[in-house]
Amino acid sequence: MDLSVKIGKAKFSNPVTVASGTFEYIKDYCSISDLKKLGALTPKTVTLYAQQGNPSPRIVEIPSGMINAIGIENEGIDAFISGRLVEFKKLGVPLIISVSGKTETEFKMLAEKLNKPKGLSAIELNLSCPNLKKKSLVAQDPKATYSIVKAVKRISKLPVIAKLTPNVGDITVIAKAAQEAGADGISMINTFSGLVIDTKTRKSAIGNFTGGVSGPAIRPMAVNMVYNVAQKVSIPIIGMGGIMTADDALQFIIAGATMVAVGTANFIEPKAPLEVLRGIKEYMKKNKLNNLKQLRGSLVR
Amino acid sequence: MYSFMYKNQYKAKIVSNEKLTAKLYRMSLDAGKITEKVVPGQFIHIRINDTLKPFFRRPFSIYRAKNNIEILYEVVGDGTRMLSSKKNGEVVDVIGPLGKGFSLPSKKIKQVIMIGGGVGVAPFLALSDELKKIKCEQVLLYGGRTKEHIFNMKEYKANGCKVSITTDDGSVGIKGRVSKLYSKINTDPERTFIYTCGPKPMMASVKEFAQKHGIDGQVSCEEVMACGVGACKGCSIDTSKGYKTVCFDGPVFNIKDIKF
Ligand SMILES: Cc1cc2nc3c(=O)[nH]c(=O)nc-3n(C[C@H](O)[C@H](O)[C@H](O)COP(=O)(O)OP(=O)(O)OC[C@H]3O[C@@H](n4cnc5c(N)ncnc54)[C@H](O)[C@@H]3O)c2cc1C
Ligand SMILES: Cc1cc2nc3c(=O)[nH]c(=O)nc-3n(C[C@H](O)[C@H](O)[C@H](O)COP(=O)(O)O)c2cc1C
Ligand code: FES
Repeated sequence: MDLSVKIGKAKFSNPVTVASGTFEYIKDYCSISDLKKLGALTPKTVTLYAQQGNPSPRIVEIPSGMINAIGIENEGIDAFISGRLVEFKKLGVPLIISVSGKTETEFKMLAEKLNKPKGLSAIELNLSCPNLKKKSLVAQDPKATYSIVKAVKRISKLPVIAKLTPNVGDITVIAKAAQEAGADGISMINTFSGLVIDTKTRKSAIGNFTGGVSGPAIRPMAVNMVYNVAQKVSIPIIGMGGIMTADDALQFIIAGATMVAVGTANFIEPKAPLEVLRGIKEYMKKNKLNNLKQLRGSLVR
Repeated sequence: MYSFMYKNQYKAKIVSNEKLTAKLYRMSLDAGKITEKVVPGQFIHIRINDTLKPFFRRPFSIYRAKNNIEILYEVVGDGTRMLSSKKNGEVVDVIGPLGKGFSLPSKKIKQVIMIGGGVGVAPFLALSDELKKIKCEQVLLYGGRTKEHIFNMKEYKANGCKVSITTDDGSVGIKGRVSKLYSKINTDPERTFIYTCGPKPMMASVKEFAQKHGIDGQVSCEEVMACGVGACKGCSIDTSKGYKTVCFDGPVFNIKDIKF
């Protein structure tokens, strides 16, 4: 059975990865032999300089999901490369490194720095960052998206994946801009903005005021967006948004995704990515498919 | 063959789930050999149902780890209500023990004071068991809100622990806050060590008292958790050493480092 997939020149033995910000390689706890079964690992977004993140509370549970405003707490790219990345690399699982900048220059510097370490598979641009010129996110503006993807493509030796926000009118417009700029793949979707109000205090339940909604609650919207984007672009899509089970992941693949990422589910059921992989294989066997390509975008209308 | 992402995730059979008071329950879980690895102050992360409700796992301090892993919990919302209706023989999915537990006091410490507010008393029985082994004098100051939070503390007493109780309404023990019991503390910083766990205002008052007398101590913190393993940074708190995760760097911290 051939489960292998490609994004640009990067090859992965199977389509299952984890969504940035929802998985950490914790030496004390992780079962390395099981971890190695995944197609790729995507560590949390790294920024140029260290960020301490948002005030608490940072997370709230909602029906079938959660809302978070972590604020990309991270140690900064240099400390990441000399620290956590070294540990991640020891696992021997392909790595997709997620980065985010405050400006185009920061994105370029991040790409430059990631040219040095050997053995990385791809760079993912978390474009859900403020677009300084306009009061919006980069991934809400096709021009800003184009410009940053293009700038990084010129510098980076790695395949470049643009990660998109669902908080837009028409996500296909942003996806097309990323493709035109030379992106090798699209990762979608990031979280939906949301607000939970504590009626006792009449304040937001989140320290940062608003946060991002994730989990099974957003899955149907995510599948729909992946389907729509797959109709408009030819580059591979990493589909995510509420994947808990293999059935959820299969929906994304049938809608047109090349890879799938398990996010919030990692918090609830840490073995979810492994179960997803197992379930995809089972489904293919049952349906007598021997190549993932036969499944991708096979939605019947 | 099932794969597990974490070595310390398992299905645990409920051995007992006993109602202690109108609000408090005690659950005993068969965790096999894992029980031996527990350090007092660590917690377990329980998936209460294998459906999406409740969505998050729920963290509970390990109350005791003798033959089984036990928790002491208060019914406060949907998750704990569902937990309270579980029957013996049912199975829950558990990750843990997780986090950094208490460190035992140095040899020169003669008196250990445990100050617990409400169900915050939970991590102290496992600690009391360890203190007994090193023959350290132990005192438990327990502030329950009402008699609904007071249960018989014979296991503490069996460990030689001196237990004093307050309730807000005076229904059991002394009326008032647990701070009324601070007079029982030997304030020689060379000889005394404090452990505390409970509501933030209570722990803040313990910190103030400890600092006034130069007494060292540890606190066990609580924060809403998603992953429980240090992955999501959802439970980070601002400490004097920068942001730290309650689930991985804690839940036990030095009392000096926490800002209440
Ligand atoms: C390290 C740690 C150890 C704990 N040990 C114990 C214990 O030994 N016994 C016990 O009774 N309780 C303990 N708690 C608190 C316990 O986890 C909550 O009471 C429980 O999650 C409430 O769930 P619920 O669905 O009944 O309440 P709900 O109010 O419906 O919960 C809604 C959300 O808030 C969170 N939440 C609610 N109260 C708390 C709280 N006090 N602390 C953290 N998160 C909370 C829940 O996890 C959930 O995400 C501990 C918490 C932490 C962080
Ligand atoms: C706690 C948390 C932290 C996240 N951090 C990041 C991040 O640092 N970078 C990023 O690109 N996406 C981040 N995300 C978004 C996820 O990668 C994913 O796109 C989104 O949650 C949808 O997938 P899910 O529903 O499976 O979680 C985060 C999500 C959560 C819940
Ligand atoms: S709960 Fe995820 S880091 Fe603590």
